Amino acid sequence: MSTVLQEAPTAQRTNRTGGAWAAVYALALFEARRLLTRIPMLLALAAYLAWIVWRTPGFEDGSPALQDADRNTQSGPLLIGLAVLLCANAAVLRSKRRDTERHFAVLVLEPWRRTAAHLLSVVPAALLAAVCVAGQFGWAALQSGSVGSGSPAELMVGPLTVLLSGAAGVLIARLIPSTLTAPMAIVLLFFFLLFFAGTVPAGDGERGLRWLVPVVTESTTNALPSDLIGRPAAWHALYLAGLALTLALLAVLAGGGRAWTLWGAVAGALALALTGGIAQTAALPATLTAARERATHTPEKDQTCVRRGGSTYCAFPEWTPRTDTWAGAVDHIKSLAGGTAHDRQFLVRQRIDATYGLAGDAAIETSTTPYQVTVGTAWGGNRVPEFSAAVAAVLVAGSEQKTNALCDGRMVTVMWLALSWQPDPMQSLRNVRLDDSVTGSAIVLSTTDPMQMTAGQTDVVRELLQKPHGSVAARVKAHWAELTAPKVTSAQAAELLGVAAPKGADKCGE
Amino acid sequence: MTPTVSASGLSLRYGGTHALDDVSLRLTQGVTGLLGPNGAGKTTLLRVLATAVPADRGAFTAFGHDPATAAGRQEVRRRLGYLPQTPGFHPDFTAFEFVDYVAVLKELTDRGARHREVRRVLDEVDLGDVRGKRIKKLSGGMRQRVALAAALVGDPGFLVLDEPTVGLDPEQRMRFRELIAQAGEGRTVLLSTHQTEDVAMLCHRVLVMAGGRIRFDGTPPELTARAAGRVWSSTERDPGAKAGWRTGTGSFRNVGDPPDGADLLEPTLEDGYLLTLDGAEVAA
Repeated sequence: MSTVLQEAPTAQRTNRTGGAWAAVYALALFEARRLLTRIPMLLALAAYLAWIVWRTPGFEDGSPALQDADRNTQSGPLLIGLAVLLCANAAVLRSKRRDTERHFAVLVLEPWRRTAAHLLSVVPAALLAAVCVAGQFGWAALQSGSVGSGSPAELMVGPLTVLLSGAAGVLIARLIPSTLTAPMAIVLLFFFLLFFAGTVPAGDGERGLRWLVPVVTESTTNALPSDLIGRPAAWHALYLAGLALTLALLAVLAGGGRAWTLWGAVAGALALALTGGIAQTAALPATLTAARERATHTPEKDQTCVRRGGSTYCAFPEWTPRTDTWAGAVDHIKSLAGGTAHDRQFLVRQRIDATYGLAGDAAIETSTTPYQVTVGTAWGGNRVPEFSAAVAAVLVAGSEQKTNALCDGRMVTVMWLALSWQPDPMQSLRNVRLDDSVTGSAIVLSTTDPMQMTAGQTDVVRELLQKPHGSVAARVKAHWAELTAPKVTSAQAAELLGVAAPKGADKCGE
Repeated sequence: MTPTVSASGLSLRYGGTHALDDVSLRLTQGVTGLLGPNGAGKTTLLRVLATAVPADRGAFTAFGHDPATAAGRQEVRRRLGYLPQTPGFHPDFTAFEFVDYVAVLKELTDRGARHREVRRVLDEVDLGDVRGKRIKKLSGGMRQRVALAAALVGDPGFLVLDEPTVGLDPEQRMRFRELIAQAGEGRTVLLSTHQTEDVAMLCHRVLVMAGGRIRFDGTPPELTARAAGRVWSSTERDPGAKAGWRTGTGSFRNVGDPPDGADLLEPTLEDGYLLTLDGAEVAA
């Protein structure tokens, strides 16, 4: 068309301020308000909050390691991400579905700017996810006994997943303008991830292609020192950010954006995604492997030791605030012992198997060192009676290795020492036994190798725990030598402690 | 009067069909009616002037801006209010939300000022009381007024209305005519319609289109005058008439070239329109 020059009136009676980008932000706010009040979004948010509340008591019963707590925030935002994907997709398709596109196409804001507004509209949902993540992590950090430190990169994964989902929803709508596409994409993605998880090469077990999915979970609860975890969290965050940015910019292109700067931005975003994607799949650094070996086999090289009440407590630096808690348990148990046992000096050493990082769940070998007790990285809940059982067993048997032979009446004394001072001794008895019962024979969990209780020993211990603490404590002190002598029977122990003797001989594995 | 919209030689083909064929026009302030049968090219012309589709050939300007350039197109759109033939709605939006949404797309970014403007136009189309109601709960006439409010928001200088009274009952149509008349005060309005009554009541000027071309460009009285002496009454349908129909009195009203001694009647705008179309068909 050629230009026809005319002198004409210039009608423009309503002030417009801020220009096109101000309109983009205004539209983004409008769409964000709608997106946050859609039913799928509200349902997802409710489910997410319920998930957070449900998960919170599970932070190792109140003493979380924050380097695990950060990772635990990542799965919940997937719910928000799915809802954002569906709602953002539907919002982009709204004009086509309701046949308003013919009208809106002649309005001032071009389609590519409207696409940009839809992309920006998912940012508040991501911020909401970030607030929930911060709340969940903050709650863990405020728990008494929390140790370690979280990784900002791990904490960013949840909100970044929401951004990625939103960008995917907008891009899908721009490429395939059908309302069925987004739900189908979610189903396909689900099956892809299901099969992808089983078909990718294992690599070294920790890195490799599994890091291409947004949220990489670990199947262990084995807490490790932060510097031994080896998750490429920062690279992964960069990968997710690059991917989200790439999808977003491609959506703007699909919406009609044609500026050369846009193509440059796509190239830059893709470079970020590739950099993060490749770096995160790289093999573990040799220094990390060496550090894990050292922490597993010679932890004393990395640990800090402190003396409390005549005993020595050695822990990895992040766990040193917990030594007072361990010392409290040890002092309680020693105070109940008779003879010279209450002056016994222990070496409580934190030991881990970090060889395979978070993927490893090997049991820690028993120590042969006299009066050395192993303590793990987890604490709170069942871990307290388990540690107490280990301390009491070493106090009675002399070393962790010798606790395997506690198949006689000494087991009665060990369990009473371990449990009688707990806030709820009977519940602790239930918790420390593998079968969660207070009758019959059972395996007793400990920090290293488990021990065994016969049905008769269980009856005696149960009865002792129900008697007044002072009267039993006096008998324990008075008969300490007999109660801790090898080959003492459960019947003899019961008699010495003033409860009914069980019938039959002690026989482990009954 | 200085034209606000000026077009010359606009042509647009869809396949082998000339949807627009060398259309030239000059629009000034006030309501201009666009009459024509189905397929005449009215909607195509409106879509070209609303910058929805570009013409193959020719040019137009609105308020001195040429929509052939991206910048010019944006300037035209900033001054444009468009009511499509069958406007779509977002049924889950309230009337306020929908007009507000359109206002944002028109770059009204100051939230307070925008909301005042949205309330103003909803009041103008008499929907102030139902602005919080969802569109899916509004009647057809109310929805049409929502669409008009969306066209009016931002106070555009050039209003393109494509058959806005279709489907409305007589009372709603009368109400809508009042609104369009109000909207035409101080604005350039191009109103496409099948209703000659709309043109007779609202328009200071009328264009008649057929076969993609403008067949008449003048005032409504001038169009009516085309039928002067060419409308007559008879007891039977006159086979020589271009058009004829039985009236409520039982006699026939004929339009065309009357026989000698015919009982001539006072012509209407519709008679002039029919004769113009007949001429157009002959010309085509």
